[in-house]
Amino acid sequence: MSATGYDATAVTLKTAAYGVVAFLVLANLIPLLFILSVSFMPPSEFFTDPHLVPYEPTLEAWSTGFEDLRENLLNSFLIGAGTALLALTITIPGAYAFARKEFYGKTAGFYAIISAMMFPYILLVIPIMDLWTALGLYNTVFGMILAYQVFVTPFSIWILRDFFENLPTDIEEAAQVYGCTQFTAFLRVILPLAAPGIVAVGFLAFLTGWNDFLFANLLTTGTGPVPAVPVLYGTIGGGSGERVYWGKLMAETLIIGIPPTIIYLAARSHLESAFNV
Amino acid sequence: MSTRDLFDVGGRTERYRTVLSENWFAYLLIMPVLLFLVVLMWLPFMQGIYMSFNEWPFGGDPTWVGLANYEFLLNWEPFYTSLKATVIFSLTTLFQLVVALAAALAVRELRRGKSFVSAAFLLSYTMPPLVIGTIWAYLLEPDFGPVFGYLTQWNVLEETIYWGSSGSMSLAVVIFVTTWTFWPFMFLIISASLESIPEELYESARMYGANPLQTFLRVTLPQLKSAILVALSIRIIWNMTKISQVLQLTNGGPGYDTSILAVLLYQFAYERGQMGVSYAIGIVLLLMTLGFVFVFIREFERASEGAGA
Repeated sequence: MSATGYDATAVTLKTAAYGVVAFLVLANLIPLLFILSVSFMPPSEFFTDPHLVPYEPTLEAWSTGFEDLRENLLNSFLIGAGTALLALTITIPGAYAFARKEFYGKTAGFYAIISAMMFPYILLVIPIMDLWTALGLYNTVFGMILAYQVFVTPFSIWILRDFFENLPTDIEEAAQVYGCTQFTAFLRVILPLAAPGIVAVGFLAFLTGWNDFLFANLLTTGTGPVPAVPVLYGTIGGGSGERVYWGKLMAETLIIGIPPTIIYLAARSHLESAFNV
Repeated sequence: MSTRDLFDVGGRTERYRTVLSENWFAYLLIMPVLLFLVVLMWLPFMQGIYMSFNEWPFGGDPTWVGLANYEFLLNWEPFYTSLKATVIFSLTTLFQLVVALAAALAVRELRRGKSFVSAAFLLSYTMPPLVIGTIWAYLLEPDFGPVFGYLTQWNVLEETIYWGSSGSMSLAVVIFVTTWTFWPFMFLIISASLESIPEELYESARMYGANPLQTFLRVTLPQLKSAILVALSIRIIWNMTKISQVLQLTNGGPGYDTSILAVLLYQFAYERGQMGVSYAIGIVLLLMTLGFVFVFIREFERASEGAGA
Protein backbone atom coordinates (compact mmCIF):
# COMPACT_ATOMS: atom_id res chain seq x y z
CA MET A 1 0.00 0.00 0.00
CA SER A 2 1.42 3.39 -0.97
CA ALA A 3 1.82 6.15 1.56
CA THR A 4 -0.57 8.42 -0.31
CA GLY A 5 -3.22 5.70 -0.38
CA TYR A 6 -3.01 5.39 3.35
CA ASP A 7 -3.32 9.15 3.76
CA ALA A 8 -6.42 9.22 1.61
CA THR A 9 -8.10 6.58 3.79
CA ALA A 10 -7.03 8.48 6.87
CA VAL A 11 -8.62 11.65 5.52
CA THR A 12 -11.82 9.79 4.65
CA LEU A 13 -11.90 8.31 8.13
CA LYS A 14 -11.40 11.68 9.77
CA THR A 15 -14.18 13.17 7.68
CA ALA A 16 -16.49 10.30 8.53
CA ALA A 17 -15.69 10.68 12.21
CA TYR A 18 -16.44 14.39 12.18
CA GLY A 19 -19.64 13.70 10.24
CA VAL A 20 -20.83 11.15 12.81
CA VAL A 21 -20.02 13.47 15.69
CA ALA A 22 -21.74 16.44 14.09
CA PHE A 23 -24.83 14.41 13.26
CA LEU A 24 -25.15 12.98 16.76
CA VAL A 25 -24.54 16.28 18.51
CA LEU A 26 -27.26 17.90 16.42
CA ALA A 27 -29.60 14.93 16.87
CA ASN A 28 -29.18 15.37 20.61
CA LEU A 29 -29.31 19.12 20.87
CA ILE A 30 -31.96 20.15 18.34
CA PRO A 31 -34.91 18.36 19.99
CA LEU A 32 -33.93 19.83 23.34
CA LEU A 33 -33.49 23.31 21.87
CA PHE A 34 -36.94 23.01 20.38
CA ILE A 35 -38.42 22.12 23.74
CA LEU A 36 -36.65 25.09 25.29
CA SER A 37 -38.17 27.38 22.72
CA VAL A 38 -41.68 25.92 23.04
CA SER A 39 -41.56 26.47 26.77
CA PHE A 40 -41.38 30.20 26.06
CA MET A 41 -44.25 30.25 23.57
CA PRO A 42 -47.71 31.48 24.43
CA PRO A 43 -50.44 28.85 23.76
CA SER A 44 -51.61 30.50 20.54
CA GLU A 45 -48.26 29.89 18.87
CA PHE A 46 -48.40 26.06 19.02
CA PHE A 47 -51.04 25.93 16.36
CA THR A 48 -49.25 28.02 13.78
CA ASP A 49 -46.51 26.61 11.55
CA PRO A 50 -43.56 25.22 13.49
CA HIS A 51 -40.85 27.77 14.25
CA LEU A 52 -37.81 27.67 16.46
CA VAL A 53 -37.74 31.21 17.87
CA PRO A 54 -40.94 32.25 19.67
CA TYR A 55 -42.59 35.35 18.17
CA GLU A 56 -43.78 36.63 21.51
CA PRO A 57 -41.79 34.90 24.24
CA THR A 58 -43.41 34.62 27.64
CA LEU A 59 -42.33 33.28 31.01
CA GLU A 60 -45.83 32.25 31.94
CA ALA A 61 -45.31 28.50 31.38
CA TRP A 62 -42.22 28.52 33.56
CA SER A 63 -43.77 30.38 36.45
CA THR A 64 -46.98 28.32 36.54
CA GLY A 65 -44.88 25.19 36.03
CA PHE A 66 -42.75 26.01 39.05
CA GLU A 67 -45.81 26.91 41.06
CA ASP A 68 -47.52 23.61 40.30
CA LEU A 69 -44.46 21.46 40.91
CA ARG A 70 -43.03 23.12 43.98
CA GLU A 71 -44.07 20.50 46.47
CA ASN A 72 -43.27 17.60 44.16
CA LEU A 73 -39.80 18.97 43.50
CA LEU A 74 -39.19 19.15 47.23
CA ASN A 75 -40.29 15.50 47.54
CA SER A 76 -37.99 14.52 44.69
CA PHE A 77 -35.11 16.31 46.37
CA LEU A 78 -35.73 14.65 49.74
CA ILE A 79 -36.03 11.23 48.15
CA GLY A 80 -32.90 11.71 46.04
CA ALA A 81 -30.81 13.00 48.93
CA GLY A 82 -32.06 10.30 51.29
CA THR A 83 -31.35 7.59 48.73
CA ALA A 84 -27.80 8.88 48.31
CA LEU A 85 -27.09 9.09 52.03
CA LEU A 86 -28.45 5.68 52.85
CA ALA A 87 -26.68 4.10 49.87
CA LEU A 88 -23.32 5.51 50.93
CA THR A 89 -23.81 4.38 54.51
CA ILE A 90 -24.50 0.83 53.41
CA THR A 91 -22.04 0.45 50.57
CA ILE A 92 -18.86 2.20 51.72
CA PRO A 93 -18.01 -0.48 54.30
CA GLY A 94 -18.96 -3.26 51.90
CA ALA A 95 -17.00 -1.88 48.96
CA TYR A 96 -14.01 -1.35 51.22
CA ALA A 97 -14.12 -4.96 52.37
CA PHE A 98 -14.39 -6.25 48.81
CA ALA A 99 -11.46 -4.11 47.70
CA ARG A 100 -9.03 -4.48 50.59
CA LYS A 101 -9.83 -7.56 52.65
CA GLU A 102 -9.33 -11.20 51.89
CA PHE A 103 -12.04 -13.43 53.20
CA TYR A 104 -13.74 -16.68 52.46
CA GLY A 105 -16.54 -16.30 49.92
CA LYS A 106 -15.33 -12.93 48.68
CA THR A 107 -15.72 -13.58 44.95
CA ALA A 108 -19.06 -15.30 45.32
CA GLY A 109 -20.35 -12.49 47.51
CA PHE A 110 -19.18 -9.84 45.10
CA TYR A 111 -20.90 -11.43 42.14
CA ALA A 112 -24.02 -12.05 44.17
CA ILE A 113 -24.18 -8.29 44.70
CA ILE A 114 -23.12 -7.22 41.20
CA SER A 115 -25.55 -9.58 39.51
CA ALA A 116 -28.33 -7.86 41.44
CA MET A 117 -27.73 -5.03 38.98
CA MET A 118 -29.16 -7.32 36.35
CA PHE A 119 -32.33 -8.11 38.23
CA PRO A 120 -35.44 -6.95 36.37
CA TYR A 121 -36.53 -4.45 38.99
CA ILE A 122 -40.06 -4.31 37.74
CA LEU A 123 -40.45 -7.77 39.29
CA LEU A 124 -39.82 -6.32 42.71
CA VAL A 125 -42.25 -3.49 42.67
CA ILE A 126 -45.33 -5.68 43.02
CA PRO A 127 -44.31 -7.61 46.13
CA ILE A 128 -42.71 -4.47 47.56
CA MET A 129 -46.01 -2.63 47.10
CA ASP A 130 -47.70 -5.39 49.04
CA LEU A 131 -44.99 -5.54 51.71
CA TRP A 132 -44.86 -1.76 52.14
CA THR A 133 -48.63 -1.65 52.61
CA ALA A 134 -48.32 -4.21 55.37
CA LEU A 135 -45.41 -2.38 57.03
CA GLY A 136 -46.94 1.10 56.77
CA LEU A 137 -44.17 2.23 54.43
CA TYR A 138 -46.47 2.59 51.45
CA ASN A 139 -46.86 6.22 50.39
CA THR A 140 -43.97 7.53 52.51
CA VAL A 141 -40.71 9.22 51.57
CA PHE A 142 -38.76 6.76 53.69
CA GLY A 143 -40.45 3.82 51.98
CA MET A 144 -39.17 5.08 48.65
CA ILE A 145 -35.67 5.81 49.90
CA LEU A 146 -35.53 2.26 51.19
CA ALA A 147 -36.90 0.75 47.99
CA TYR A 148 -34.40 2.60 45.77
CA GLN A 149 -31.53 0.89 47.55
CA VAL A 150 -32.20 -2.14 45.45
CA PHE A 151 -31.26 -0.17 42.30
CA VAL A 152 -28.44 1.74 43.86
CA THR A 153 -26.43 -0.59 46.07
CA PRO A 154 -25.09 -3.00 43.42
CA PHE A 155 -23.94 -0.07 41.31
CA SER A 156 -22.32 1.68 44.23
CA ILE A 157 -20.43 -1.42 45.29
CA TRP A 158 -19.13 -1.87 41.75
CA ILE A 159 -17.89 1.71 41.43
CA LEU A 160 -16.59 2.18 44.97
CA ARG A 161 -14.70 -1.10 45.02
CA ASP A 162 -12.66 0.07 42.06
CA PHE A 163 -11.85 3.34 43.79
CA PHE A 164 -10.73 1.63 46.98
CA GLU A 165 -8.75 -0.93 45.02
CA ASN A 166 -6.76 1.70 43.19
CA LEU A 167 -5.48 3.37 46.34
CA PRO A 168 -1.94 2.43 47.34
CA THR A 169 -1.95 -0.63 49.59
CA ASP A 170 0.55 0.46 52.19
CA ILE A 171 -1.19 3.69 52.98
CA GLU A 172 -3.23 2.36 55.89
CA GLU A 173 -0.26 0.58 57.39
CA ALA A 174 1.65 3.83 57.25
CA ALA A 175 -1.19 5.59 59.02
CA GLN A 176 -1.27 2.86 61.65
CA VAL A 177 2.44 3.27 62.25
CA TYR A 178 1.70 6.90 63.03
CA GLY A 179 -0.76 5.84 65.70
CA CYS A 180 -4.07 5.48 63.89
CA THR A 181 -6.31 2.54 64.65
CA GLN A 182 -7.68 0.56 61.72
CA PHE A 183 -10.85 2.58 61.92
CA THR A 184 -9.34 6.04 62.22
CA ALA A 185 -6.92 5.17 59.41
CA PHE A 186 -9.92 4.37 57.27
CA LEU A 187 -11.74 7.52 58.32
CA ARG A 188 -8.87 9.98 58.01
CA VAL A 189 -6.82 8.53 55.19
CA ILE A 190 -8.85 6.24 52.98
CA LEU A 191 -12.15 8.10 52.87
CA PRO A 192 -10.70 11.44 51.76
CA LEU A 193 -8.68 9.72 49.04
CA ALA A 194 -11.74 7.89 47.77
CA ALA A 195 -13.76 11.11 47.81
CA PRO A 196 -14.18 11.34 44.01
CA GLY A 197 -15.72 7.88 43.92
CA ILE A 198 -17.92 8.66 46.87
CA VAL A 199 -19.14 11.85 45.22
CA ALA A 200 -19.83 9.98 41.98
CA VAL A 201 -21.84 7.30 43.76
CA GLY A 202 -23.73 9.91 45.75
CA PHE A 203 -24.72 11.69 42.53
CA LEU A 204 -25.79 8.49 40.81
CA ALA A 205 -27.90 7.52 43.80
CA PHE A 206 -29.47 10.96 43.92
CA LEU A 207 -30.28 10.76 40.22
CA THR A 208 -31.92 7.38 40.69
CA GLY A 209 -34.20 8.81 43.33
CA TRP A 210 -34.90 11.88 41.22
CA ASN A 211 -35.35 10.21 37.83
CA ASP A 212 -37.26 7.06 38.59
CA PHE A 213 -40.85 6.73 37.51
CA LEU A 214 -41.80 3.14 38.27
CA PHE A 215 -41.39 3.02 42.04
CA ALA A 216 -42.35 6.67 42.37
CA ASN A 217 -45.66 6.02 40.69
CA LEU A 218 -46.46 2.67 42.25
CA LEU A 219 -45.40 3.40 45.81
CA THR A 220 -47.31 6.67 46.17
CA THR A 221 -50.91 7.73 45.85
CA GLY A 222 -52.29 11.08 44.78
CA THR A 223 -52.39 12.29 48.37
CA GLY A 224 -48.93 11.11 49.36
CA PRO A 225 -45.44 12.55 48.91
CA VAL A 226 -45.52 12.36 45.10
CA PRO A 227 -42.18 13.23 43.49
CA ALA A 228 -42.04 15.38 40.37
CA VAL A 229 -41.61 12.77 37.62
CA PRO A 230 -44.96 10.94 37.98
CA VAL A 231 -46.77 14.28 37.76
CA LEU A 232 -45.94 14.38 34.07
CA TYR A 233 -47.31 10.93 33.47
CA GLY A 234 -50.73 10.71 31.95
CA THR A 235 -50.91 14.37 31.04
CA ILE A 236 -50.81 13.19 27.44
CA GLY A 237 -51.72 9.53 27.36
CA GLY A 238 -54.37 9.88 30.02
CA GLY A 239 -56.84 11.06 27.43
CA SER A 240 -58.83 13.19 29.83
CA GLY A 241 -60.14 15.08 26.82
CA GLU A 242 -58.73 18.37 28.07
CA ARG A 243 -56.46 20.23 25.73
CA VAL A 244 -52.85 19.87 26.81
CA TYR A 245 -51.04 23.14 27.39
CA TRP A 246 -47.85 21.99 25.74
CA GLY A 247 -45.83 25.04 26.65
CA LYS A 248 -46.36 24.48 30.32
CA LEU A 249 -45.81 20.77 30.01
CA MET A 250 -42.51 21.36 28.22
CA ALA A 251 -41.44 23.93 30.81
CA GLU A 252 -42.17 21.29 33.44
CA THR A 253 -40.12 18.66 31.63
CA LEU A 254 -37.20 21.07 31.63
CA ILE A 255 -37.69 22.04 35.27
CA ILE A 256 -37.54 18.35 36.19
CA GLY A 257 -34.88 17.41 33.63
CA ILE A 258 -32.32 20.17 34.08
CA PRO A 259 -31.17 19.56 37.68
CA PRO A 260 -30.03 15.96 37.03
CA THR A 261 -28.31 17.12 33.84
CA ILE A 262 -26.32 19.75 35.67
CA ILE A 263 -25.36 17.28 38.38
CA TYR A 264 -24.36 14.68 35.83
CA LEU A 265 -22.20 17.05 33.86
CA ALA A 266 -20.51 18.23 37.04
CA ALA A 267 -19.70 14.67 38.12
CA ARG A 268 -18.90 13.37 34.66
CA SER A 269 -15.14 12.91 34.89
CA HIS A 270 -15.51 10.75 37.99
CA LEU A 271 -18.31 8.75 36.48
CA GLU A 272 -16.42 8.01 33.31
CA SER A 273 -13.41 6.62 35.09
CA ALA A 274 -15.79 4.51 37.12
CA PHE A 275 -17.29 2.91 34.04
CA ASN A 276 -14.03 1.53 32.75
CA VAL A 277 -14.96 -2.14 32.37
CA MET B 1 -3.12 -28.50 50.38
CA SER B 2 0.26 -30.00 51.24
CA THR B 3 0.89 -32.82 53.67
CA ARG B 4 2.82 -30.51 55.95
CA ASP B 5 -0.40 -28.60 56.56
CA LEU B 6 -2.33 -31.77 57.35
CA PHE B 7 -0.08 -32.75 60.24
CA ASP B 8 0.47 -29.28 61.56
CA VAL B 9 -2.81 -29.35 63.50
CA GLY B 10 -1.92 -26.74 66.06
CA GLY B 11 -0.72 -24.34 63.39
CA ARG B 12 -3.86 -24.89 61.37
CA THR B 13 -6.31 -24.12 64.17
CA GLU B 14 -4.23 -21.12 65.00
CA ARG B 15 -4.33 -19.98 61.39
CA TYR B 16 -8.06 -20.59 61.11
CA ARG B 17 -8.58 -18.59 64.24
CA THR B 18 -6.69 -15.60 62.87
CA VAL B 19 -8.39 -15.93 59.48
CA LEU B 20 -11.74 -16.12 61.20
CA SER B 21 -11.12 -13.10 63.37
CA GLU B 22 -9.90 -11.14 60.37
CA ASN B 23 -12.83 -12.39 58.30
CA TRP B 24 -15.20 -11.48 61.06
CA PHE B 25 -14.45 -7.82 60.48
CA ALA B 26 -14.82 -8.15 56.70
CA TYR B 27 -18.11 -9.98 57.09
CA LEU B 28 -19.33 -7.23 59.35
CA LEU B 29 -18.46 -4.69 56.67
CA ILE B 30 -20.36 -6.42 53.89
CA MET B 31 -23.28 -7.34 56.13
CA PRO B 32 -25.37 -4.19 55.48
CA VAL B 33 -25.35 -4.62 51.69
CA LEU B 34 -26.12 -8.30 51.86
CA LEU B 35 -28.87 -7.71 54.37
CA PHE B 36 -30.48 -5.03 52.20
CA LEU B 37 -30.34 -7.18 49.11
CA VAL B 38 -31.85 -10.15 50.91
CA VAL B 39 -34.63 -8.08 52.41
CA LEU B 40 -35.31 -5.89 49.38
CA MET B 41 -34.65 -8.33 46.58
CA TRP B 42 -34.71 -11.96 47.47
CA LEU B 43 -37.57 -11.92 49.97
CA PRO B 44 -39.89 -9.88 47.72
CA PHE B 45 -38.85 -12.04 44.79
CA MET B 46 -39.74 -15.22 46.68
CA GLN B 47 -43.00 -13.69 47.79
CA GLY B 48 -43.66 -12.76 44.16
CA ILE B 49 -43.18 -16.32 43.01
CA TYR B 50 -45.67 -17.43 45.64
CA MET B 51 -47.94 -14.59 44.50
CA SER B 52 -47.99 -15.88 40.95
CA PHE B 53 -49.74 -19.05 42.15
CA ASN B 54 -52.49 -17.07 43.81
CA GLU B 55 -55.33 -14.86 42.93
CA TRP B 56 -54.03 -11.79 44.70
CA PRO B 57 -55.96 -8.51 44.63
CA PHE B 58 -53.91 -5.44 45.62
CA GLY B 59 -53.79 -5.12 49.40
CA GLY B 60 -56.21 -8.04 49.73
CA ASP B 61 -56.05 -11.68 50.77
CA PRO B 62 -54.65 -14.32 48.44
CA THR B 63 -56.46 -17.40 47.23
CA TRP B 64 -54.35 -20.31 46.04
CA VAL B 65 -55.09 -21.05 42.39
CA GLY B 66 -52.07 -23.13 41.38
CA LEU B 67 -51.08 -22.63 37.78
CA ALA B 68 -54.28 -20.84 36.80
CA ASN B 69 -52.55 -17.47 36.25
CA TYR B 70 -50.07 -19.04 33.85
CA GLU B 71 -52.83 -20.98 32.15
CA PHE B 72 -54.81 -17.78 31.70
CA LEU B 73 -51.84 -16.08 30.05
CA LEU B 74 -51.10 -18.92 27.69
CA ASN B 75 -54.69 -18.97 26.51
CA TRP B 76 -54.96 -15.21 26.21
CA GLU B 77 -54.44 -13.87 22.72
CA PRO B 78 -52.93 -10.46 23.65
CA PHE B 79 -50.19 -12.24 25.61
CA TYR B 80 -48.70 -13.40 22.32
CA THR B 81 -49.03 -9.91 20.81
CA SER B 82 -47.10 -8.71 23.84
CA LEU B 83 -44.41 -11.38 23.47
CA LYS B 84 -43.93 -10.43 19.86
CA ALA B 85 -43.70 -6.74 20.75
CA THR B 86 -41.13 -7.58 23.42
CA VAL B 87 -38.91 -9.45 20.99
CA ILE B 88 -39.12 -6.66 18.40
CA PHE B 89 -38.57 -4.03 21.06
CA SER B 90 -35.37 -5.77 22.16
CA LEU B 91 -33.90 -4.68 18.82
CA THR B 92 -33.53 -1.24 20.34
CA THR B 93 -30.53 -2.64 22.21
CA LEU B 94 -28.76 -3.43 18.94
CA PHE B 95 -29.51 0.03 17.56
CA GLN B 96 -28.12 1.53 20.73
CA LEU B 97 -24.98 -0.53 20.30
CA VAL B 98 -24.46 0.55 16.71
CA VAL B 99 -24.90 4.24 17.53
CA ALA B 100 -22.73 3.98 20.65
CA LEU B 101 -19.94 2.16 18.84
CA ALA B 102 -19.93 4.65 15.96
CA ALA B 103 -19.97 7.53 18.42
CA ALA B 104 -17.16 6.13 20.55
CA LEU B 105 -14.93 5.45 17.55
CA ALA B 106 -15.67 8.88 16.07
CA VAL B 107 -15.03 10.77 19.30
CA ARG B 108 -11.69 9.02 19.61
CA GLU B 109 -10.61 10.66 16.34
CA LEU B 110 -11.35 14.16 17.60
CA ARG B 111 -8.45 16.36 18.56
CA ARG B 112 -10.36 19.03 20.38
CA GLY B 113 -13.79 19.41 21.89
CA LYS B 114 -14.02 15.82 23.15
CA SER B 115 -15.36 17.00 26.44
CA PHE B 116 -18.06 19.16 24.87
CA VAL B 117 -19.11 16.42 22.49
CA SER B 118 -19.48 13.69 25.08
CA ALA B 119 -21.34 16.13 27.34
CA ALA B 120 -23.78 16.81 24.50
CA PHE B 121 -24.18 13.08 23.96
CA LEU B 122 -25.05 12.53 27.58
CA LEU B 123 -27.85 15.08 27.78
CA SER B 124 -30.54 12.67 26.67
CA TYR B 125 -29.43 10.06 29.14
CA THR B 126 -29.28 12.30 32.19
CA MET B 127 -32.86 13.47 32.12
CA PRO B 128 -35.53 11.22 33.62
CA PRO B 129 -36.72 8.76 30.93
CA LEU B 130 -40.29 9.83 31.50
CA VAL B 131 -39.31 13.44 30.83
CA ILE B 132 -37.72 12.39 27.54
CA GLY B 133 -40.83 10.37 26.75
CA THR B 134 -42.98 13.44 27.34
CA ILE B 135 -40.71 15.59 25.19
CA TRP B 136 -40.92 13.18 22.26
CA ALA B 137 -44.65 12.77 22.71
CA TYR B 138 -44.83 16.48 21.92
CA LEU B 139 -42.21 16.53 19.16
CA LEU B 140 -43.92 13.64 17.37
CA GLU B 141 -47.48 14.80 17.97
CA PRO B 142 -49.18 14.28 14.57
CA ASP B 143 -51.25 17.48 14.48
CA PHE B 144 -49.00 20.24 15.74
CA GLY B 145 -45.74 18.57 16.82
CA PRO B 146 -42.77 20.12 15.02
CA VAL B 147 -41.37 16.91 13.50
CA PHE B 148 -44.37 16.21 11.28
CA GLY B 149 -44.97 19.93 10.98
CA TYR B 150 -41.61 20.43 9.29
CA LEU B 151 -41.78 17.21 7.30
CA THR B 152 -45.06 18.25 5.69
CA GLN B 153 -43.96 21.85 5.30
CA TRP B 154 -40.81 20.76 3.45
CA ASN B 155 -42.89 18.34 1.37
CA VAL B 156 -41.00 15.31 2.62
CA LEU B 157 -44.37 13.91 3.64
CA GLU B 158 -47.64 14.72 2.00
CA GLU B 159 -49.55 14.56 5.21
CA THR B 160 -48.84 13.84 8.82
CA ILE B 161 -48.73 10.27 10.12
CA TYR B 162 -51.09 9.24 12.88
CA TRP B 163 -48.66 6.66 14.18
CA GLY B 164 -50.68 6.18 17.35
CA SER B 165 -53.31 4.20 15.49
CA SER B 166 -50.94 1.84 13.71
CA GLY B 167 -49.31 -0.93 15.73
CA SER B 168 -46.11 -1.21 13.75
CA MET B 169 -45.66 2.57 13.50
CA SER B 170 -46.20 2.90 17.24
CA LEU B 171 -43.63 0.23 17.89
CA ALA B 172 -41.19 1.98 15.55
CA VAL B 173 -41.68 5.27 17.41
CA VAL B 174 -41.15 3.57 20.77
CA ILE B 175 -37.97 1.89 19.50
CA PHE B 176 -36.70 5.17 18.05
CA VAL B 177 -37.25 7.14 21.25
CA THR B 178 -35.77 4.39 23.42
CA THR B 179 -32.68 4.23 21.24
CA TRP B 180 -32.34 8.01 21.27
CA THR B 181 -32.55 8.07 25.05
CA PHE B 182 -30.36 5.21 26.15
CA TRP B 183 -27.48 4.85 23.70
CA PRO B 184 -25.23 7.19 25.72
CA PHE B 185 -24.95 4.62 28.49
CA MET B 186 -23.38 2.15 26.09
CA PHE B 187 -21.26 4.98 24.74
CA LEU B 188 -19.91 5.60 28.25
CA ILE B 189 -18.87 2.00 28.76
CA ILE B 190 -17.47 1.48 25.28
CA SER B 191 -15.51 4.71 25.12
CA ALA B 192 -14.03 4.13 28.56
CA SER B 193 -12.86 0.74 27.37
CA LEU B 194 -11.60 2.20 24.10
CA GLU B 195 -9.42 4.67 25.99
CA SER B 196 -7.69 1.85 27.81
CA ILE B 197 -6.56 -0.07 24.72
CA PRO B 198 -2.74 0.10 24.79
CA GLU B 199 -1.28 2.31 22.07
CA GLU B 200 1.40 -0.33 21.33
CA LEU B 201 -1.21 -2.59 19.80
CA TYR B 202 -2.02 0.08 17.24
CA GLU B 203 1.63 0.75 16.59
CA SER B 204 2.38 -2.86 15.83
CA ALA B 205 -0.71 -3.07 13.63
CA ARG B 206 0.65 -0.09 11.70
CA MET B 207 4.06 -1.73 11.45
CA TYR B 208 2.53 -4.81 9.86
CA GLY B 209 0.74 -2.55 7.40
CA ALA B 210 -2.79 -3.25 8.54
CA ASN B 211 -5.45 -1.06 6.97
CA PRO B 212 -8.01 0.72 9.16
CA LEU B 213 -10.62 -2.00 8.72
CA GLN B 214 -8.16 -4.72 9.64
CA THR B 215 -7.00 -2.70 12.63
CA PHE B 216 -10.59 -2.33 13.75
CA LEU B 217 -11.40 -6.02 13.33
CA ARG B 218 -8.16 -7.40 14.74
CA VAL B 219 -7.26 -4.89 17.43
CA THR B 220 -10.16 -2.69 18.47
CA LEU B 221 -13.04 -5.13 18.36
CA PRO B 222 -11.36 -7.97 20.30
CA GLN B 223 -10.24 -5.48 22.95
CA LEU B 224 -13.76 -4.11 23.23
CA LYS B 225 -15.43 -7.50 23.36
CA SER B 226 -15.97 -7.63 27.10
CA ALA B 227 -17.16 -4.04 27.32
CA ILE B 228 -19.59 -4.61 24.47
CA LEU B 229 -21.00 -7.79 25.98
CA VAL B 230 -21.33 -6.22 29.41
CA ALA B 231 -23.05 -3.16 27.97
CA LEU B 232 -25.28 -5.23 25.72
CA SER B 233 -26.45 -7.56 28.44
CA ILE B 234 -27.07 -4.76 30.96
CA ARG B 235 -28.99 -2.74 28.41
CA ILE B 236 -31.11 -5.65 27.19
CA ILE B 237 -32.36 -6.29 30.68
CA TRP B 238 -32.80 -2.62 31.50
CA ASN B 239 -34.59 -1.89 28.25
CA MET B 240 -36.94 -4.79 28.79
CA THR B 241 -37.91 -3.53 32.22
CA LYS B 242 -38.16 0.22 31.59
CA ILE B 243 -41.74 1.16 30.94
CA SER B 244 -42.09 4.89 31.43
CA GLN B 245 -41.44 5.93 27.83
CA VAL B 246 -43.71 3.31 26.34
CA LEU B 247 -46.46 4.27 28.75
CA GLN B 248 -46.09 7.94 27.99
CA LEU B 249 -45.86 7.53 24.21
CA THR B 250 -48.46 4.88 23.49
CA ASN B 251 -49.82 3.60 26.80
CA GLY B 252 -49.23 0.12 25.39
CA GLY B 253 -51.58 0.67 22.45
CA PRO B 254 -53.04 0.60 19.94
CA GLY B 255 -54.66 -2.52 21.36
CA TYR B 256 -51.76 -4.45 22.83
CA ASP B 257 -49.36 -3.77 19.96
CA THR B 258 -46.78 -1.92 22.08
CA SER B 259 -47.59 -3.63 25.38
CA ILE B 260 -44.19 -5.17 25.92
CA LEU B 261 -44.23 -7.65 28.81
CA ALA B 262 -43.14 -5.05 31.36
CA VAL B 263 -46.01 -2.78 30.34
CA LEU B 264 -48.44 -5.66 30.49
CA LEU B 265 -47.16 -6.47 33.97
CA TYR B 266 -47.64 -2.85 34.99
CA GLN B 267 -51.16 -2.75 33.62
CA PHE B 268 -52.21 -5.89 35.46
CA ALA B 269 -50.79 -4.60 38.72
CA TYR B 270 -51.79 -0.97 38.51
CA GLU B 271 -54.92 -0.81 36.46
CA ARG B 272 -56.50 -4.17 37.22
CA GLY B 273 -55.02 -4.88 40.64
CA GLN B 274 -54.35 -8.51 39.72
CA MET B 275 -51.00 -9.02 41.38
CA GLY B 276 -50.89 -12.77 40.77
CA VAL B 277 -51.27 -12.54 37.01
CA SER B 278 -48.93 -9.60 36.97
CA TYR B 279 -46.19 -11.61 38.65
CA ALA B 280 -46.75 -14.56 36.38
CA ILE B 281 -45.95 -12.19 33.50
CA GLY B 282 -42.87 -11.12 35.41
CA ILE B 283 -41.67 -14.71 35.65
CA VAL B 284 -41.97 -15.06 31.88
CA LEU B 285 -39.98 -11.84 31.46
CA LEU B 286 -37.35 -13.11 33.88
CA LEU B 287 -36.97 -16.38 31.99
CA MET B 288 -36.54 -14.43 28.75
CA THR B 289 -33.69 -12.36 30.16
CA LEU B 290 -31.94 -14.92 32.35
CA GLY B 291 -29.31 -15.93 29.81
CA PHE B 292 -28.00 -12.37 29.60
CA VAL B 293 -27.23 -12.36 33.30
CA PHE B 294 -24.78 -15.19 32.78
CA VAL B 295 -23.18 -13.48 29.81
CA PHE B 296 -22.84 -10.35 31.90
CA ILE B 297 -21.22 -12.05 34.87
CA ARG B 298 -18.83 -14.10 32.73
CA GLU B 299 -17.65 -11.08 30.77
CA PHE B 300 -17.48 -8.87 33.81
CA GLU B 301 -15.28 -11.41 35.53
CA ARG B 302 -13.08 -11.78 32.48
CA ALA B 303 -12.68 -8.01 32.18
CA SER B 304 -11.84 -7.62 35.86
CA GLU B 305 -9.24 -10.36 35.70
CA GLY B 306 -7.68 -8.72 32.68
CA ALA B 307 -7.52 -5.40 34.49
CA GLY B 308 -6.02 -6.99 37.58
CA ALA B 309 -3.26 -8.81 35.71
